[in-house]
Amino acid sequence: MSAEPSMPLNEATVEARGVHRGFFGNPVLKGVDIALRPGRVHALLGENGAGKSTLINLLSGALLPHAGEVIVDGGSVSRFSPEAARRAGIAVVQQELSLVSELSIAENIGLGAYPRRFGLVDYGALAEGVEQVCRLVGIQENRGTPISALPLGRRQMVEIAKALFRRPRVLILDEPTSSLSAHEAGVLADLVLRLRDEGLAVLYISHRLNEVLALCSHVTVLKDGVVTADRSLAGVSPDELVRLMVGRDAEHLFPSWSPVAGKEIVRLEGFCAGSARDVSFHARRGEVVGVGGLVGQGQEDFLQGLYGAVAARAEAVSIAGSASLPKSVEAANALGIAYVPADRKRESLVLTHSIAINLALPSIGRLARGWSRSRHAEAELVSDLSARLAIKGDPARPVQALSGGNQQKVALAKWLPLKPAILLLNDPTRGVDLDTKREIYRMLRALAADGTLVVLMSSDTPELVHLCDRVYVFREGRVSGVLAHGTISEEAIVGAALGLPERKAA
Amino acid sequence: MSVARGSLYRTVQRTRNRGLTGLYLLVAALLVAYVSLFPGVLSLAGFSRFTQNWFPLALVTMAQALLMLNGGISLSIGPLVSLGAVIAATTMSGPLGVPGGIVLVAVTGLGVGAVFGTIVALFRLPAIIVTLAGSFIVGGVALLVLPKPGGMVPAWFSDALAGQYPTAFLLLLLVIVGWKVFMATPTGLGLYAAGDNPLGAFRSGVRVERVRIVAFALSGLLTVLAGLFVAAQTGSGDPVIGAPMTLNSIAGAVLGGVGFLGGRGTMRGALAGSLLLAAMINVMFFLGFPPVAQYVAQGLIIVAAVAVPELLSRRQRA
Repeated sequence: MSAEPSMPLNEATVEARGVHRGFFGNPVLKGVDIALRPGRVHALLGENGAGKSTLINLLSGALLPHAGEVIVDGGSVSRFSPEAARRAGIAVVQQELSLVSELSIAENIGLGAYPRRFGLVDYGALAEGVEQVCRLVGIQENRGTPISALPLGRRQMVEIAKALFRRPRVLILDEPTSSLSAHEAGVLADLVLRLRDEGLAVLYISHRLNEVLALCSHVTVLKDGVVTADRSLAGVSPDELVRLMVGRDAEHLFPSWSPVAGKEIVRLEGFCAGSARDVSFHARRGEVVGVGGLVGQGQEDFLQGLYGAVAARAEAVSIAGSASLPKSVEAANALGIAYVPADRKRESLVLTHSIAINLALPSIGRLARGWSRSRHAEAELVSDLSARLAIKGDPARPVQALSGGNQQKVALAKWLPLKPAILLLNDPTRGVDLDTKREIYRMLRALAADGTLVVLMSSDTPELVHLCDRVYVFREGRVSGVLAHGTISEEAIVGAALGLPERKAA
Repeated sequence: MSVARGSLYRTVQRTRNRGLTGLYLLVAALLVAYVSLFPGVLSLAGFSRFTQNWFPLALVTMAQALLMLNGGISLSIGPLVSLGAVIAATTMSGPLGVPGGIVLVAVTGLGVGAVFGTIVALFRLPAIIVTLAGSFIVGGVALLVLPKPGGMVPAWFSDALAGQYPTAFLLLLLVIVGWKVFMATPTGLGLYAAGDNPLGAFRSGVRVERVRIVAFALSGLLTVLAGLFVAAQTGSGDPVIGAPMTLNSIAGAVLGGVGFLGGRGTMRGALAGSLLLAAMINVMFFLGFPPVAQYVAQGLIIVAAVAVPELLSRRQRA
């Protein structure tokens, strides 16, 4: 372990020493050490399945280690529990939100820690406490607004406010920015640094390396359940960070590609769907067209409108050879349009069914002979897709047994046999590890090279910059900027998303 | 925008009316129609009679909505109403007297509910199965207590509860105030939380199991009190009198916008739903619909009441 330069080490607030933990005889953590110290933002990196979630659960008392110990304030705790962790001041912001949709922002923030008076919730005191944390995280909405009225990015901010409401000494953030807009992520970054200066110990888990480099001063890297690095981040470059994570020299995350100008396949004028307003859009076969902007600015409605899942209208339409918009998902599928939703668990996969069934599902009808399913053709299809996408393991296993990244691969792969002319993707790499990201990127460019139009909606700005031929940036339902190849940069995208006047990238 | 101290509670309460405007208007329209058809309902006795017909349905709908908000459901509402009625009818004229009878009924409801809740929460069994099994057991016990209609509720008690004064309405107001207080406790809010997002609620420190048991116990209490009232209304006990209450309680809750998956809907909606249902049943009864037609009409109205707001909101989204 390399020492922190010129800084005395504070005693760790919470620490894991040599923890082991497995599930069903399958070891996930094999003797892991980590120490969260006050006044330090500590990054935890590792690919999906490396054991990060398990480690978080051990540090927050949701799981007990099979061997090794968790130490709070220098003392070993024998029966750690979520309750004990809360008392010790450990707050966790999990990827899966813990919010209740019908309760208000304030009632959610206070849940489980309500100030009481005569056994009742003291709404006056609650409002005051909530006001403080809402200011910290920049929640402007009325505190009485029910959660169900907020977009996902705002809910994430409420979740963070909820963690802060308990005045924690240790804050564990698991992929906090995956559903945040660039602006919200900026607010969060400022907040994290401020909390650090106030003496909190912060554990920061993210797949976004520039965030990690900007915020964290120390990193622990997990690989296959063991710590491969526990060192200061001072002077570490993104490439080195990637190397630390994958444990080998990282090739570039993005494939190299050159623009292929195919035939125009989509042209829309004055397209409206849901909150998307007056969008003009055109694209050619062989392009990867990015759709970016802050979260919830109409991008999703734009995609779903093209897919016939949300009612849409337009002044002029030409899409996949049709002069009218698809009125239904079936009509869109018939035109060769496929859509991969963001919420793979709810909208795209049948979690309890096998990998094989999930992969074959869109093709079962096409492969069938008469009234009967063709098991043989299905099996061939499944093994072909598994091989092409490097989906590991027995395809008879249920999809829910796979890691997030592999689930996403299944969600994508199932459309490939239909050879879609237009592939609409809604944030395909959210919460996906680097290796899988790289595979997905390569696949998207390969599809484009085969003449597919890939429309990639993403909250991850680097992938818009490096993967797309052109990027449409949405703001308040309208296209606020179209960036052509060569002019795409993170600055330009964020600028257009924030409605700033166009300026030369620095 | 900041919320001044003290106004948060009011804002929260106001937003709970979201999406209920249509239902309120529908109930108001039906009540106006009711009053114009039967102006007698505006007299004290008429009002008392109407609210007496509504009261037990309101109680069981609340009992059902309480569980549905918590992500459960009960199929033993009807038998439990019957059990409450037969216990009241067999004890109140005996040595225990009216106060003893009320206590025994209440304890039975709380106890039966708590047992169901414990089985559901601790053994993680589906509420629908546990309460289905429970409905046979509770129904059987009711028949053991009083094999055929009989027993007696003292006349003065019947008169006090279900006479010419709107005691039932006042009791209902009392129950509503009780619910308001309960919903201002951490446990009350935990009820929603555990229904909508059990894992999140658990991680937030809500005692999900305890909340579930409390929900079942309170639901049992409301149910047997409905039974007690029915016994007072009829002056005697009937071991199967509650039978239609199970489905009516679900109908009332669903009409009121309470969802089946937990955490969706409000008690005020459920109450409005039960009022709608009660007024409908009364109107059809007084207009002389044959019972069979009543059931068919009831079913159609429930489907329409659930479908129309859904279709309207879909049109709005488009």
